[in-house]
Amino acid sequence: MDFLLSYLALAEIYVLLGLSTNLLVGIAGIFSVSQAAVFGVGAYIVAQSLMHGVMGFVPAVLVAAVACIVLNILVTLPSLRVSGDYFVVTSFGIQLLATAVFINWTEGTGGANGLPGIPPPDIFGYALETNEQLLMLTTAAVVLGCLVFWLTMHAPFGRLLRAIREDELAVAAAGKGVLRAKVSAAALAGAFAGSAGGLYATFLSFIDPVSFDLDASILLLTMVVVGGARTLPGSILGPFLLLALPQLLTFIDIPTTIAASARQFIYGVLLIAFMLFRPQGIVGEKL
Amino acid sequence: MLAVQLLINGLVTGAALGLVAISFSLIYATTKLFHVAHAGVYTLAGYVAWSLSTRGLPDIVALLGAVAAAVVVGALIQGVLYAELGRRRATHLVVLIASLGMLAVMQNTISAVYSPNILQFPVPWRSNLVSVAGVPVTVTHLLTVAVSLSAYAGTMWFFHRTILGKQIRAVASNPFLAEITRLRPQRVYVIVVAIGSAIVALPGVLVPLDLGLQPFSGINPLLTATIAMIAGGIGSITGSFVLAVGIAVLQNLSLLFIPGEWSIGITFGIFVVFMLFRPTGLFPAGR
Amino acid sequence: MAPYLQAQGLEVSFGGLRALQDCSFTIDKGRITCLVGPNGAGKTTIFNAITGFLTPNAGHVAFRGDSLDGLTPQQIVAKGIARTFQNLRLFVDLTALDNVLIGLPAQTGEEPLAAIFRPFHVAAAQRRRRQEAMATLEHVGLADRAHEFVRNLSYGEQKLLTVARVLATGAELILLDEPASGLSAGALDAIMALLRRLQAEGKTLLVVEHNTRVVQKIADDVLFLHQGHLMATGTPEAIISDPALAEIYFGGTI
Repeated sequence: MDFLLSYLALAEIYVLLGLSTNLLVGIAGIFSVSQAAVFGVGAYIVAQSLMHGVMGFVPAVLVAAVACIVLNILVTLPSLRVSGDYFVVTSFGIQLLATAVFINWTEGTGGANGLPGIPPPDIFGYALETNEQLLMLTTAAVVLGCLVFWLTMHAPFGRLLRAIREDELAVAAAGKGVLRAKVSAAALAGAFAGSAGGLYATFLSFIDPVSFDLDASILLLTMVVVGGARTLPGSILGPFLLLALPQLLTFIDIPTTIAASARQFIYGVLLIAFMLFRPQGIVGEKL
Repeated sequence: MLAVQLLINGLVTGAALGLVAISFSLIYATTKLFHVAHAGVYTLAGYVAWSLSTRGLPDIVALLGAVAAAVVVGALIQGVLYAELGRRRATHLVVLIASLGMLAVMQNTISAVYSPNILQFPVPWRSNLVSVAGVPVTVTHLLTVAVSLSAYAGTMWFFHRTILGKQIRAVASNPFLAEITRLRPQRVYVIVVAIGSAIVALPGVLVPLDLGLQPFSGINPLLTATIAMIAGGIGSITGSFVLAVGIAVLQNLSLLFIPGEWSIGITFGIFVVFMLFRPTGLFPAGR
Repeated sequence: MAPYLQAQGLEVSFGGLRALQDCSFTIDKGRITCLVGPNGAGKTTIFNAITGFLTPNAGHVAFRGDSLDGLTPQQIVAKGIARTFQNLRLFVDLTALDNVLIGLPAQTGEEPLAAIFRPFHVAAAQRRRRQEAMATLEHVGLADRAHEFVRNLSYGEQKLLTVARVLATGAELILLDEPASGLSAGALDAIMALLRRLQAEGKTLLVVEHNTRVVQKIADDVLFLHQGHLMATGTPEAIISDPALAEIYFGGTI
């Protein structure tokens, strides 16, 4: 039962990441492998804030969200102004640089050993410690996240992004700013990823660089590709399915030494297969 | 003196990186695809050479075998995966994701089949020292520079002096025109990726000969090579090569001031400078 | 008084190909000017240069006395100039109404903050905007197809929609790239009537057109372009009846 609660809460946190990745990759059409890096930045900010008693959970998450908004803007604005392929390089660079920071900046991130003993989240002083309470928190966060996603997609902003996906030139000819819309989508994606990071840190009470590396970014892409790009259902289905995958794999006898490689191998196969045969994912729209 | 040692290390690393940059640049300028899986081909070459070497085959056979394997795999990726995606009118983003999936498949297969840990080449002479200008340099380092310069010269000769080379450059600069003439772009793409894979197999063997094999170490050189390509001017073989050497030298010299784990920051910093101030690179396209 | 739209000495080269050579012309306010010439003469290139989609190698464009040099397409739309595309470039997976809505300037909710924190305000504003967009669709005769996806519209309807999208921007100078090509007789009449209606409402039109019958029916002035250079200007009758120009247009080499 406890295990089921953990799975649900973790899946919900990854749904927030799914929404983030979908905004960036699915809806704005920006190839990104740095989502996990942003996720990590959010996690470390909240973790350190709580561990040093600097502020409560909710303010810490807000600070993390703002930091990740700024980070995404700084990263996308100069590169997208040049071209989409420039952003590919920037994205890889950010991800690898972030991993280097997470592993080596021991004072800030605990280095390769990570940060153990992160306090549980508190809502205005009331600590949430049981799995049931944490699940309520993540569920509330996911509902809020889905609402924000839905609102932005049904506003003119969503329509603008859909038009940009089809034909940037025509959007420019209609007098609308393409770069600004993409950077806004990236900023919003940053807010989702940063908040998810804060939830992740307090939920697991321990974080280390492995959760925020390039392989993690590939997992996030796989979630969106499998679940379905550009839609709310796709952002929900993908994480729930992909997080269940390791459990399904335990039914096959895979030696633990290659378990991680086996998972990443499967993600790679899923990416190739879906791009070839079903680019819209299970319940999404075509990438 | 330390600086001289670092300079020489930089030149050697740069020579190897130069081939990665040239090969990636050729592929990108011709196919317009960001062939992320190229890092996987680079990695594969090393392991194939290692397999052949550990079976007692002569060194030259191991090297040629690695080149052959790289050519076959690279050609298959372009001719089967990318071509099929092209037929299905996949967007740029879709191909990028598929390429990333292929990279994950290749790297993790290698990791599972061989080992996630560092493997050394069982080649007795690889660490023998030779004195160059009073500085001790390994045979492997000399070999790397020699092979690299030869490959660079060979590539320049091929693309500027042979008919096939000129045809490829024609397709690269104007695929539409090429489509309506006798040059079939798809065929040219496969050839270019095959050539690029052959070239990248060389550092793919020589660098691990020096430093050891690791399944996931392909993305760093690829990223640096891409930055060299951009800074050197996309489509310029000489530009990519020269900038790769330059970046490697800067990276190594920076070790005088900065710890090694941050050297990716130097590379990335160079990229940011170019992106902000000179996105088209230093050299005009075509040379 | 400065000319309404003035191009001076425009030079555009693509590699070795000179698309525009010392191209100069003026457009007068309130008139329908047709840009004609053989294929490859540079007509679409002129559109691209005026609307900021390409930067000429040399030359200047000024609109109502203000220089357009170096402005982005979006800035030029804000100044009151908008264009259509020869290959339409409509948003195929959006409805006709949505295509028009994209053109309406300055809507709240086009960036995430308003969408998230003022959803009711955005919804109310959108209701008003939809009415505006519907009015534009009525103006071009597409009101009954408003909620159809563009891929389900006929070619003629799609062409009308491109005009609607351009009208939505509020532009006073409208550049139309072959609005009549590929249309059946009925759709052709509808488009020509629409263009004359727009002129009556005070719009200025610059139209690239191949169809001489259309040019004769709607043009006040004609600019004949050949090899990137303005070869002749005049009334439709003068240009069309000129044998030397006809030779270039119909039988000549480029």
